[in-house]
Amino acid sequence: MSFHAVVIGCGADSLVAAHLLARAGRQVLVIEERPAAAQDFGWVPPQIVAELDLALQIQAPDPWATALLGDGGRLELWRDMRRTCESLKRFSERDAQRWPEFCRRMAALARVFEALYTEPPAEPLSLRLALRVRGLGREGMTDLLRVLPMSVAELLDDWFECDALKGALGAMGILNIRQGPRSGGTAFRFLHHHVGSPAGVFRPPRSNVSSLLRQRPGIYVNPSGVARIRIRGGRADGVVLDNGDEIGAPMVISGVDPCRSLLELADAAWLDPELARAIGNIRCHGVAARISFDASMQGNTVLAPSLDYLERAYDEVKYGRVSRAPYLEAHPAPQGVEVHFQYVPQQGNGDLAATVRRLLPGVEDAQARVLYPGDLQREEGWPQGQPYHAELALDQALWMRPLPELAQYQTPIDGLWLCGPATHPGGGIAGASGYNCARAILKEKR
Amino acid sequence: MKKYDVVIIGGGHNGLVCAAYLARAGKRVLVLERRSRVGGAALSEEVFPGFRFSVFSYVVSLLRPEIIRELELPRHGLHILPLESTLTPLREGGKAGDYLAQWNDHDRNRRELARHSLRDAEAYDEFGLELHQMARLIKPILAVAPPDPASLHPRELLDLARLARMFARIEKKKFNTLWKLLTMSSADYLDTWFETEALKATKSASGIIGTMLGPRSPGTAYVLLHHYMGELDGVFRAWGFAKGGNGSVSAAIASAARGFGAEIRTSAPVEKVWVENARAKGVVLEGGEEVRAHTVVSGADPRRTFLGLVGEKHLPGEFVESIRRFKFRGASAKVNLALGEAPNFTCMPGPGPHLRGAVSISPSVAYLEQAYDDAKYGEISRRPYMDIVIPSMLDPAMAPPGKHVMSIFVQYAPYRLNGGWTDARREALGDAVIDTLAEYAPNIRSALLHRQVVTPADIERVVGLSEGNIFQGELSLQQMFFLRPAPAWSRYRTPVEGLWQCGSGTHPGGGVMGASGRNAALALLGERA
Repeated sequence: MSFHAVVIGCGADSLVAAHLLARAGRQVLVIEERPAAAQDFGWVPPQIVAELDLALQIQAPDPWATALLGDGGRLELWRDMRRTCESLKRFSERDAQRWPEFCRRMAALARVFEALYTEPPAEPLSLRLALRVRGLGREGMTDLLRVLPMSVAELLDDWFECDALKGALGAMGILNIRQGPRSGGTAFRFLHHHVGSPAGVFRPPRSNVSSLLRQRPGIYVNPSGVARIRIRGGRADGVVLDNGDEIGAPMVISGVDPCRSLLELADAAWLDPELARAIGNIRCHGVAARISFDASMQGNTVLAPSLDYLERAYDEVKYGRVSRAPYLEAHPAPQGVEVHFQYVPQQGNGDLAATVRRLLPGVEDAQARVLYPGDLQREEGWPQGQPYHAELALDQALWMRPLPELAQYQTPIDGLWLCGPATHPGGGIAGASGYNCARAILKEKR
Repeated sequence: MKKYDVVIIGGGHNGLVCAAYLARAGKRVLVLERRSRVGGAALSEEVFPGFRFSVFSYVVSLLRPEIIRELELPRHGLHILPLESTLTPLREGGKAGDYLAQWNDHDRNRRELARHSLRDAEAYDEFGLELHQMARLIKPILAVAPPDPASLHPRELLDLARLARMFARIEKKKFNTLWKLLTMSSADYLDTWFETEALKATKSASGIIGTMLGPRSPGTAYVLLHHYMGELDGVFRAWGFAKGGNGSVSAAIASAARGFGAEIRTSAPVEKVWVENARAKGVVLEGGEEVRAHTVVSGADPRRTFLGLVGEKHLPGEFVESIRRFKFRGASAKVNLALGEAPNFTCMPGPGPHLRGAVSISPSVAYLEQAYDDAKYGEISRRPYMDIVIPSMLDPAMAPPGKHVMSIFVQYAPYRLNGGWTDARREALGDAVIDTLAEYAPNIRSALLHRQVVTPADIERVVGLSEGNIFQGELSLQQMFFLRPAPAWSRYRTPVEGLWQCGSGTHPGGGVMGASGRNAALALLGERA
């Protein structure tokens, strides 16, 4: 059997790329290094749903977040803006009044990113980008240019006074990055995680896109590890599996992180040494542990009672310690309850589960399984435990993601492409990188 | 009543530069300074008998070479004495230990770096080259009035296109490097270059100066670059002092301005800008005296100018909102010491060339982050970052024979201190500085004759800089270029017809640079900078 393309990895991006190529008549083999996730985090762009005709199951809990407050109270944030206003009124009349306007302004900015995210990254000085930005009008454009480099704390302080609201929103600015809410650029990350959601909802949805695509016919799947990417005469022409089997194909598409793809699986000798150094310098600190509890829970529960709380949680990890009072976010998963615990260092021996049991109601007596970033690297293949494969920050976003030389999904090695979350638009969006990559490949081949 | 073409509020260096350029073009110019002498924060004062200090700003490097040239400042007494080195003393296991020195002499510098890391010594030249190239890219931008990207006005569109063309000509790779510097943290940026902790810390320290951010916070890499711009043009190859203190920078500019016919009045505090029918007619001094002028230019920071001198009722609501949001967050203090003898650093004992340079207390990035952590919750850094110079080493006239003046820039001292600034807190800050310094130079306590502590609250009270921010507003990306100080009003004009601004709160802002004053004057004269 001969293939047109081998896709490494079984994330949403790899599977989207594989199916799009298969639909265009290619024979595609996916090397499944680990089983597809039962649940994917992030917006699935409607283009993907339409082109692959997916019957997605999307989890969109209502309220989209239940924020726990220090005193045992809670703030519920609903999909219906008016209902959120009612919740907010108990804390601040002023914030309740400002909520609809804030939601409208943020949604307008998110719409720009939606357009930018479903196409290959625009060059910074291109007319395409300029027109998109100018299309926002004066208010939106000023908002965008101001907000991008800001800290999420500054953005939220401009609008609101209620700590609980600011904490629950601000968490989206620091999700999966080693920065605190007062660090510059976190407002951009806040917007990134808003992309695809309706106005007034600031949590990306979860869906079953990977498992749906995995079961779908049309592609070949080989459950095996990859030992290396075969390169002959500067061209990728297949992969070598863990068991020594070789599979030839004129094109290799890698959904694993660029560092492993290019420096380990391929060979750094094929790269310009300066580029190889830059690849080694891609920032991908993992900062969160995943704790699975054998329990059940409704909706999405957040512990981030204020921006200062988040900032203090961050302080500890700067010096290599686990946050004593961490940012927690819990949601129902296929096997129980999954808790995001931020911040932690790569590895540690603290009893994270005990901390969660103390802080989060509903998991008191449940069995727990704790995965530090170092464990997640092993289990999920996330470099240093970073689920986005490359930290999502302004210097590693858009046309810079993960590096300007790799941003258009192509690598300097002919026939080798990248499609994982380390490429534009990146983690927190399910499948868009794979979608853009496949379209770039098909355009190239035409 | 005499009528002027232009009256300028504030005789700081930008106001004076603006006055000089306008007077040179034949305008009748009056500068009004609140204090008894000009200079604003660039000021020398004999604080203790026989000891002269640059009380606030203390080094020169960013002052635009074209200003020095065009105003012929050396003819008016400006003389720069270059700093020769930067010494970073280190501590090991609670004791004074090794040091890292950076010398102006290339070979010596390389040998010293190689002692710490061969790799860093190799990377250093390339690093210097990259920053040099980036500074060159930024340089032309310093001299333009930033166009408003949302405007549809043909002139703004033209300027925008011109700017886009300028950027489009930049090699793609360099553009991307520039983007990184704009968006990265200085520590992350330096991590991609070096491994020696003290080198990274000392370099990243220039990214936090004047800013309420830690070296790991994105946005600080730009401030690092901003401080590199002084090492351009071959005019000053490095940082330096003005002979006679930074007051002589102001004095030279004032003298140039007077030479062109500008009038300068001191002890003339402006109470308000006189606005009639949305047009500035002049200013009203405290005491009621009215000064009419065709144009009013404010060198005060945006908050004082608009919320204070103009008043909200003359301004559109949206603009007022932008000015209210403009961040100051003063983070730095100044401690000036009169010493009976030169400090003796344990890591490099006795006198030597290192005392003619700067001494940087920045042993590691974590040290700086810890200093920031204290301040972000409203406390003085227990162990602050300090940039120390001893001007009397290069300019003996600053202190009596055999004695010395030491100028210490201290960070962080937050303007919004828990419980507010009091005399006791001011002394506590002074103590923290002396305690820290004594760990590296134990003779400092016995050498100490007098000490002056200048907190951000003092800077605000004395100089009039809001919240004591030395840049008239934080130099963060969202407050730069066409957003400085407010969207659509970055070209030195204001919503009040006939009122202009020329302070550091406008583009490009920050440091004793003078570019804002020059750009404002040229914009007012309708010339392209």
